[in-house]
Amino acid sequence: MQKQLFPRDLSFRALLNRQKNAVPMRPAIRSGADARVLSYEQLNQAVLTQEALWRDSGKHCLGVLCNGTPECVLTIFGAVLAGLQVVLFDGNISEAELPELLQKTDVDCLWGAEELEEDMSPWLTGKAENGAGKLLFFTSGTTSFSKAVVLTEASLCASAWNGSALLPLSQEDTLLCVLPLNHVFGFVCGLLWGLACGACVALGRGPRYYAEDLKLFQPTAIPVVPLLLGFLLKQNALNEALRLVLIGAGDCPPALPAALQARGIRVSFGYGLTETSSGVALSLGADPYAMTVCPDDELTLAEDGEILIRCESCRMQGYYKDPDATEAILKDGVLHTGDLGHFDENGLLHVTGRKKEILVFPDGTKLYLPEYEAKLRTVLPDRDFAVIESKGAPALFLRGKESEREAVSAALEPVMRELPLARRLNAIYFDPAPLPRTATGKTQRWMLQKKVGNFT
Amino acid sequence: MTRQEIFDKVLEIVHDCVPETEEQELTESTVINTDTAIDSMGFTLIICRLEASFDVKIPDRQWQKLYTVGDVVSAIEKRLK
Repeated sequence: MQKQLFPRDLSFRALLNRQKNAVPMRPAIRSGADARVLSYEQLNQAVLTQEALWRDSGKHCLGVLCNGTPECVLTIFGAVLAGLQVVLFDGNISEAELPELLQKTDVDCLWGAEELEEDMSPWLTGKAENGAGKLLFFTSGTTSFSKAVVLTEASLCASAWNGSALLPLSQEDTLLCVLPLNHVFGFVCGLLWGLACGACVALGRGPRYYAEDLKLFQPTAIPVVPLLLGFLLKQNALNEALRLVLIGAGDCPPALPAALQARGIRVSFGYGLTETSSGVALSLGADPYAMTVCPDDELTLAEDGEILIRCESCRMQGYYKDPDATEAILKDGVLHTGDLGHFDENGLLHVTGRKKEILVFPDGTKLYLPEYEAKLRTVLPDRDFAVIESKGAPALFLRGKESEREAVSAALEPVMRELPLARRLNAIYFDPAPLPRTATGKTQRWMLQKKVGNFT
Repeated sequence: MTRQEIFDKVLEIVHDCVPETEEQELTESTVINTDTAIDSMGFTLIICRLEASFDVKIPDRQWQKLYTVGDVVSAIEKRLK
């Protein structure tokens, strides 16, 4: 891929204008659903049309149920350009979870939810203020456990520039966007990265077509989460033209990048948070776990090894209407990630673990354990339990006897049914002994993980 | 097609997509991810194969509501009628 230097865009309008002038006839967006291709000139024009529609709508905050179609992309860009606050939701979010999130984020109109709109109308009563240029992403997926992170078009463009500066695409590249746009990794690395470089962004058709989309679009670059990469490798779905795989959003077993490298495919790992508008460090060399810090970002380590990030251009504005949560993570302009790491002798970052009570799964989803456990406690009151990780999913460790399995499963069922599959418990471990705790009463999850290792 | 026939076909596809389940006794009340080795990507593959095999389409939004093997059988049965 040809190395290029890109100007820094401060808004979606600037990005789209730049490419409209630079490469008007080059393909910007390809749609798998209807085989449409939009050139950069057509993309710009279509976004302006959307902008005019939303400007006249009288609405202030648009909730978008992301379905990965060109219309979805145009709607997001158009609404932001028109000055609406835009909240991005999982396209398949359950009817049960949506109302709370709509209210929490002041949404007053919905896109992509025609069949739900009537049911949701009682909750579309938000009065967002000063929302212009803001996009709200949920920390991981859209569930009641997630926090709404306030990013801006400027921070997202800065993040795309940051990534492009280290890992540029050329105008000849096709970037396959298979990750959902409501995840910041999908939005920045699946969409803006390609557009910032003047490449063609191919919009994947969703989970049914993960493997087929690589055949259809013949991408040269693709951002993935580890679980999806494992799936594509297992299906032998990687196409010959593929030259670069960007892996992010979750822990990745070494066998996966090794399998790519064996095929001559360049592998890059990205480290970042929703709160930093996606990646702040990328691996560029042969070791995919050794990452170079992006140009706009300054990373240091706290005494206990916690990764601290200062990134004025890419940092979130805060959690939406949650100053306490914002203050807990953002102190004097420095983001306390809760992740642990170290720098090697070459100054490259290695992420080694997590300090916070969060589980990060191979599909890129995160689980905030205290909130998750609180939900389980509604059906398991007065029980001694903790949630841990087992085989890439949450598992319940419960003080009790194996003979209780049926009753416990039945009690959990109503809660589990409301959750996406990836967040449901995939195992229940019983142990008659009390759960190990520190002197302050905090569960020692590492000891439970060790016990589970002995069980299995 | 009877419910039992649908169940048998579902099992065949589940075993084919996730060979680790072959050693498990799956019933209609088996919870898909608590009692089996099926992760979300494996589940996606299973649904795609089921849709092709039965020539039905289960809307994406319904996928999240499938909790047990019996729920999967019911979703197919409903669309075959």
